[in-house]
Amino acid sequence: MSKQTRITSYGTMAQVAEPIIAFDRVVFSYDFVEVLHQISFTLRRGEVVGLLGPNGAGKSTTIKIIAGILAPGGGAVSVAGLPLPERAIDVKQRIGYVPEAAVLFESLTGQEFLELSGRLHGVTEETLQMRIREILETFNLSSDRSSRLDTYSKGMRQKVLIAAALLHNPELILLDEPLSGLDVNAAIMIKDLIAALAADGRTVLYSSHVLDVVEKVCSRALIIHKGSLIADGTLDSLRETTGQESLEDVFRTLTHAANVEPGVARIIAALRS
Amino acid sequence: MNTIWRAIDRFLRASPAVNALMKRLGIDVAHYWLLVDLFGTLSDRRELPGHLGNTDMTLQKSSWLFYILSGIMVFVFVAIGMSPTTYFLVFLMLSGFLLLTTLLAETNNSLMNPIEGLVLAHQPINGATYTSAKLTHILRILLYLVPALNLIPAFAGLLLAGVPWYYPLLHLTAAFSVGIVMALFCCALFGWLIRFVPPARLKAVGFAAEMSSWILYLFFQLAPQLHWKRLRLPHWVPTGTGPLVVLAVCLVAISIVIVVFGLRALSGDYLVRVAAIAHGRSGKKIRVRRSYLGNLVSQWFGGPSARAGFDYVWNMITRDWQFRRQMINLIPVTTMLFVGAYQGLRTSPFSGQFTAAHLLPHSIGFAFFLVCSALPYGTDYKGAWLFLLAPTGAFRGVARGVYARLLTLVLAPHLILLPLLAWYWGIRDASLFLAYSAAASSVYLALELRLIEGMPFTQQPQGAGNPSIMIILFGGGLVVGIAVALQYFLVFRSPMVVTSVTGALCVASWLVARSSLDAFEISMRFHLGMLSSESKGFYTEVNG
Repeated sequence: MSKQTRITSYGTMAQVAEPIIAFDRVVFSYDFVEVLHQISFTLRRGEVVGLLGPNGAGKSTTIKIIAGILAPGGGAVSVAGLPLPERAIDVKQRIGYVPEAAVLFESLTGQEFLELSGRLHGVTEETLQMRIREILETFNLSSDRSSRLDTYSKGMRQKVLIAAALLHNPELILLDEPLSGLDVNAAIMIKDLIAALAADGRTVLYSSHVLDVVEKVCSRALIIHKGSLIADGTLDSLRETTGQESLEDVFRTLTHAANVEPGVARIIAALRS
Repeated sequence: MNTIWRAIDRFLRASPAVNALMKRLGIDVAHYWLLVDLFGTLSDRRELPGHLGNTDMTLQKSSWLFYILSGIMVFVFVAIGMSPTTYFLVFLMLSGFLLLTTLLAETNNSLMNPIEGLVLAHQPINGATYTSAKLTHILRILLYLVPALNLIPAFAGLLLAGVPWYYPLLHLTAAFSVGIVMALFCCALFGWLIRFVPPARLKAVGFAAEMSSWILYLFFQLAPQLHWKRLRLPHWVPTGTGPLVVLAVCLVAISIVIVVFGLRALSGDYLVRVAAIAHGRSGKKIRVRRSYLGNLVSQWFGGPSARAGFDYVWNMITRDWQFRRQMINLIPVTTMLFVGAYQGLRTSPFSGQFTAAHLLPHSIGFAFFLVCSALPYGTDYKGAWLFLLAPTGAFRGVARGVYARLLTLVLAPHLILLPLLAWYWGIRDASLFLAYSAAASSVYLALELRLIEGMPFTQQPQGAGNPSIMIILFGGGLVVGIAVALQYFLVFRSPMVVTSVTGALCVASWLVARSSLDAFEISMRFHLGMLSSESKGFYTEVNG
């Protein structure tokens, strides 16, 4: 599929709701290398949208622009009607962001990190302590709340990041590979949590490589390939348009990764030499 | 000092006037105090290695060092009856230089911190709040260092003839003013850098900015030797006191504008820009080259594992941020070496005179003392898991490969100097001297291999230095003094003696290196064993 061709079709319910993210011909460059080429899409309140793409496609960059961490090089971005980067502080107040890399202040305890995050978002002390208690108990982290984060496992850190993203009750939740390192039970709980948050009116943008999870939790998918948006639609419409049955096959078809056998054969031949 | 700071802190937090002023300046008061507390906690818990911090040992140690230094200087100056004006200016300039050097490093550490950027960039913190919290952190350091450098001189100044009773007040006011100007200058400098330098280059440029005080030092050292009198000012440049005053006022005004706009630049979208240091990808491609030296090392030093150690250490030395930060300690030595070389390398050590050349092997030895001490620590220390998977037998080769790389770095300056010294001294003197110097430096290197405690670049940087290093430095200084004296009085009196001593040093180097390599290999195994058995965080990271 060429860069110009794009699949765009998604459900009517979401189309009538108020837009919370508007991306209009957004361009972004790292060190003079353009990594996002005029991307445009809209997310509406209450949607759970999957952001898919191969490694280095520009998914995390897209999420960081929405989170106000990166400023777009061209085009227009707004979140809840607030333009970015001009109103970045107000946007940050309204979003919960789980970054792809679990970077934390490792010398703080889990409790201290969550308190810092909640207080920076202006959550009142009583509410903050109640929410921290509830979330940590649900995540089975209560007994580790006073341990320094450098003693936490990867999954525990991920839970802390998810907790920090939810503490201030954001209206938009940006999840960049949120299930990375989580055990099966925690992963199931996060999937249920996403569905519940959406039912409660929150919007979720979910970036992941794990397509079966996207298939279960998302109603719509955006596929980015080499910095261009190549598909935007409901999962059913994408299957229908591409003539594929699973999202994995849709993805492989759209990103030209359908035929992997020659590559595999080359690796085996190199190992045998 | 802690008590004073706590009292100021309590007063500021409770003062409605201060809070109102902060609001007027666009600072979110609640966020400001949260961040001040956060930086204090992170600093006290040594989250950010290399920082002087607030109240931790590193800052206190630096303060005590400055108290001792200023005390010794006061003793000498009062004893020789220095004039009050010179006394005042010497301490003011010393304060300015030391504060500039310390604050440039601290500001770079503190402001160019991508970890902070990554954790805080998506939090709703405005630039003015974040910058003011950072400035508070820098000013806290001034509160320690300015008195450490000036309290004793200020009061001891009363012992000088013709000094008014209010001299201590004058001295301390001037010193604090210089300190505040330096702090603002440092913050403004990094504000400009953050604004205009692409994120992928920020770390390297910040590192270069840290060296600016030493470039100033170098300039002042070399300036008297430049031929200023040959410079003719254009006829339209006014001379005399009046225009000079106007020029000075203009320079001050320009400086103020630079500082104000630098601080404004810093307080814009600072967090976003610093976070971009980590996000920003450099477009620079690293060319894959065939290394003939690597092939030789593989053949002679122990096969592919030696080649692995040889290449690994070079790649990390040139790219590891933490290591490069540590190597800032080399700048004073390098600067002084350069100055010494400029002033004295034209005279051959065989001439019977004492020249800068006598110090060359020992300076290289000292430089590699710092390199070997810093080698175990790295930014990406968690990458150590790779070595846990290596077969045990590989470590001997890796140790030899690391040694081979360091040996090439010891030999390189000698090869570079050969044509220059041959030009000045003649080929015989130059070759003999450089052979001697290379042999002596390689003995130092062989000994210093024992300082590399564990696999290079696989340990978390330490906040405080190893106390035994001071003892080694002191003992080493004595040995170097004796060695230099022996060189001057005995060795460089005859080419025959130099040849014999060079041969003896080569044998010594080989024997010591063999023993040190065994110790280095054991040390690597021991530290990797410690990592796999003791570090819960590390283990879970691998398994997670």
